[in-house]
Amino acid sequence: MDKHRRWLPSLAALGISARAGLAAMALLLASPLVGPSLGPGAWLGKALGPGGAAWAQVAAPGNRLGTAPPPARLWRDIRRGRAGAPSGTAIGTGVLVQSEGQRWRELHNRRVRPYGGWALLGSLGAVALFFALRGRVRLDGPRTGRRMARFTQAERVVHWYVAGLFVLLAVSGLTLMFGRGLLLPVMGKSAYGALASAMLQGHNLFGPLFIAGILVMAALFLKDNLPQKGDLLWIAKGGPWMRSHAPSWKYNIAEKAWYWLAVVAGLVLSASGLVMEFPWVFRDISWIQLANLSHGIAALAIMAVALGHIYLGTIGVEGALEGMTTGSVEEAWAFQHHEMWARETAAGSAGARGGTEAESEGARPGAARAGHAAAE
Amino acid sequence: METPFWLWLIEGPFWLIAATIFVLGVGWRLVSLLALGRRRDLSVPRGSAAGGALRAILLHFIPHGGFFSSTTFHVLTGYLFHLALFALLLFAAPHVTFLEKNVLGFAWPAMPRWAFIVTAELAFAGLILLWARRISDPVQRQITDGGDHAQLWLTFAVMLTGCLALEEASLALRGLHMVMVELWLIYFPFSRLMHAFTWALSRGAMGATFGRRGVMP
Repeated sequence: MDKHRRWLPSLAALGISARAGLAAMALLLASPLVGPSLGPGAWLGKALGPGGAAWAQVAAPGNRLGTAPPPARLWRDIRRGRAGAPSGTAIGTGVLVQSEGQRWRELHNRRVRPYGGWALLGSLGAVALFFALRGRVRLDGPRTGRRMARFTQAERVVHWYVAGLFVLLAVSGLTLMFGRGLLLPVMGKSAYGALASAMLQGHNLFGPLFIAGILVMAALFLKDNLPQKGDLLWIAKGGPWMRSHAPSWKYNIAEKAWYWLAVVAGLVLSASGLVMEFPWVFRDISWIQLANLSHGIAALAIMAVALGHIYLGTIGVEGALEGMTTGSVEEAWAFQHHEMWARETAAGSAGARGGTEAESEGARPGAARAGHAAAE
Repeated sequence: METPFWLWLIEGPFWLIAATIFVLGVGWRLVSLLALGRRRDLSVPRGSAAGGALRAILLHFIPHGGFFSSTTFHVLTGYLFHLALFALLLFAAPHVTFLEKNVLGFAWPAMPRWAFIVTAELAFAGLILLWARRISDPVQRQITDGGDHAQLWLTFAVMLTGCLALEEASLALRGLHMVMVELWLIYFPFSRLMHAFTWALSRGAMGATFGRRGVMP
């Protein structure tokens, strides 16, 4: 009996605010380190603030067997999740009311889902606004016809593998998260039931493939996404917002931030997805509720930012997509958007060819802007 | 549960039509290829053409010598996808039941659910990796046309709808999977999906030529 209530004392001891509760959910991966007495039930317990204790005031049930009303203490214990010994059932734990479930549902339905939906719409709006204000970022000058190798074959394959799975998981995940509110009234219960069943099967099927992909991708792209001297210059120059030239290494600081968000959110998605896919491993249901919340938050965050990544990688920036489809980019594009990397690459190529190219560096599109790199 | 009329249509007459087109189409393509014959070779044979054909068919399951390093990705992902696909096709429980009821009249042991899921994961991983290579390799992009994309996406749709119907909670999902299978069967003889049958003819013809000249194919 005590086993099922072990987190309750810590729930009372840990009075955490809603904001702290949401932040804590993102730390799912670290959760096992704190031990069972500080499990997710403690985090969820007070996540809604003072309203979270409303269960204590709920009236006792009336349609029970017997003549006398149950003592208030009994009802209080039930609402607190105290396990009993029910006869004639196969419930297992004997817990009649898992009150944390109400808080999980409230967080999921009233915080994660609406805020996440608005975040996605906000991201779409930001992309549209950027396009309206900045337009398509075109090459400054004519194409030189010379190409610079940017992505290896392995990097391209892994990128598209993860991207393809990401789209499949996003479509199925969004259907599951928002379908009940948006699709069910239109499709009807029967059709939506079939669709939701299909999306769940697909989501569970593609999830493990995504985990493998995100791990390989994190390792492959790590080297060029570590902080480098000169990263902040890109921001100081206004990044993509200003029309002035903003030099960067192979990835500018915004792209590096996207990489780290994708990796961290991808790991949270992976870990929380595994918890939900194998719920019997975690006997405490509050782990699954925490996993569900962190899964939703991480997914919505990565999707909101991915919209910007997809836009900039396709129609937003002329010449950007070529890197991921052919492995190389136009030399003018490289010097315009990633001057420090382009100069480093060009110097490396020239060195390999005996320095003949280095002598003609002045003819390169980015040579006139060499001061940027020197300033670093 | 009584089978609705639309599902009866999909699993009855439409299935029969699709299967007939598949069988006749594949047969017609194979007979056409064999009927082309071979130009008479007047040179003195230095080896066995039949032996060369057999050697080529068997030996080319694995790339020769120096070619392996440059084709490792294709070999591994290709085998991953095809072996998993055949395992699903022949040993998925719903397939065994369907083939018993509609085609063969007998059954064999099906794979358990966990094995089905693992095999489906492997098949999807192989197919998606092959697709990723196809759209990101400059040479492959040059030699890829609409037919390659069509057969890849159609195969993907068949596999996907099959897995979406895994819970067997909806007749609509079952019907959708069957429709995709029937489209795939109809498209098969007129596309490069025919490589499922022509690979042996292709290897055999090349091996026979080499074998007759006394060269190891």
